[in-house]
Amino acid sequence: MDKEKLETLLIDYIDGKLSPEERRMVEQEHLQRSDETYKLYEQLKEVMQAMNRSSQLEPSARLRASFENALQTELAGSNKGKTVWLTPTFYRAAAAVVLLAVAGAVGFVINQQREHAAQLAAAQEEILKTKKQMMDLLNNQNSASQRWMGATVAYNDIAHADADIIKALIKAMNEDENSNVRLASIEALAKFNDQPHVRQALISALSTQKDPVVQIALIRLLVDMRAQGLKKQLEQITTDDSLLPAVKDEAHAGLLKLS
Amino acid sequence: MTDEMIMEAVKNGDLQQASLLFERYHKRIFNFLARMTMDRTVAEDLTQNVFVRMIKYRNSYREGARFQSWIYQVARNIFSDHYQDVKNQRRGFIDVEKIEGIMADSDDTQMMDEREELLHKSLARLDPEQRELLVLTRFQHMKYEEVATIMDTTVANIKVKVHRAIGKLREFYFEMEKI
Repeated sequence: MDKEKLETLLIDYIDGKLSPEERRMVEQEHLQRSDETYKLYEQLKEVMQAMNRSSQLEPSARLRASFENALQTELAGSNKGKTVWLTPTFYRAAAAVVLLAVAGAVGFVINQQREHAAQLAAAQEEILKTKKQMMDLLNNQNSASQRWMGATVAYNDIAHADADIIKALIKAMNEDENSNVRLASIEALAKFNDQPHVRQALISALSTQKDPVVQIALIRLLVDMRAQGLKKQLEQITTDDSLLPAVKDEAHAGLLKLS
Repeated sequence: MTDEMIMEAVKNGDLQQASLLFERYHKRIFNFLARMTMDRTVAEDLTQNVFVRMIKYRNSYREGARFQSWIYQVARNIFSDHYQDVKNQRRGFIDVEKIEGIMADSDDTQMMDEREELLHKSLARLDPEQRELLVLTRFQHMKYEEVATIMDTTVANIKVKVHRAIGKLREFYFEMEKI
């Protein structure tokens, strides 16, 4: 048996870790047979007992004092809320809260936008519907009353006329055979007089319109609008002998208002 | 209250509870470090460092971990840092002849027992790993299982190493006895 194996057996023997059979084996085959082994056993037992018996060392009072000091320093630091803020748990919780808040806000904004978009789409659809209805009415070649209704829809229900509507209204104003339709178209166009080409169309209509009722309505409207270049037009009307006196009178009245 | 429960409380911000752990462990840690360094003053400083580190790095304590293993791991790391520093400064790590004076309690007029002095001198001649194994298992009566956990190795490995260390200590002890 090599020395390390023998030592380990003897150490276990001293430690009382062997079974009764093993103990007997150690005693009979090693300790009783070899003086050298017995000496080794005695020496191992001595150092092992010496370690076992070794008195515990006492630290000085300085150790406790310096620990208490360090603890108070750390406590003072943590009372400022430092440590709580730095704990991973806090960070995780804070991150979760932030994430929830951001997700909520994003969700809210998306929802708002979606709602807004839906409202916008509905409104646009409504406008398109109105426009189509108006255009259909205005283009109805068989019924003057339908065309008049179209012009009235343009006046009442359409807030912002696009190029198509203006074009249709100008066409109705200049070309419709029914004077009521033409008058209704003028009224509708007057509503959109903030568009420069609408004003232009209205002034041009003044020289092309032959219907006295329409002419008078146009003069009144343009005078109220104080349209540019109107004076010249009105002066021409006053000198045009082919026109009815009532139209001429309206032009005079207009010139007086504008002067 | 178990050590683990107290350490959890410390980790959760109840720092005052650290005093309890200091009460329970400071003597053991001091004795471990005193036998490792063979210098009481240095051992006190290092023990202080262990408990300061326990407070400062309380968040590194893993829930469910055995506190004793954790605090000894901290103590081992601190000793290891100290050992490296001393080695780098090319100072003799332990002056065997001075052990009696350094290890004797200054408050205690009684001289160290002759046998105990011989034991310390023999212990000082072991390499740090062997000394550590004997301090933990023989001076501090820790079970092989506990030491295996602290050193992150197997029980069988610890046993083999402890037995070798005892064998080596015996050699030094009886070698010096003859002088």
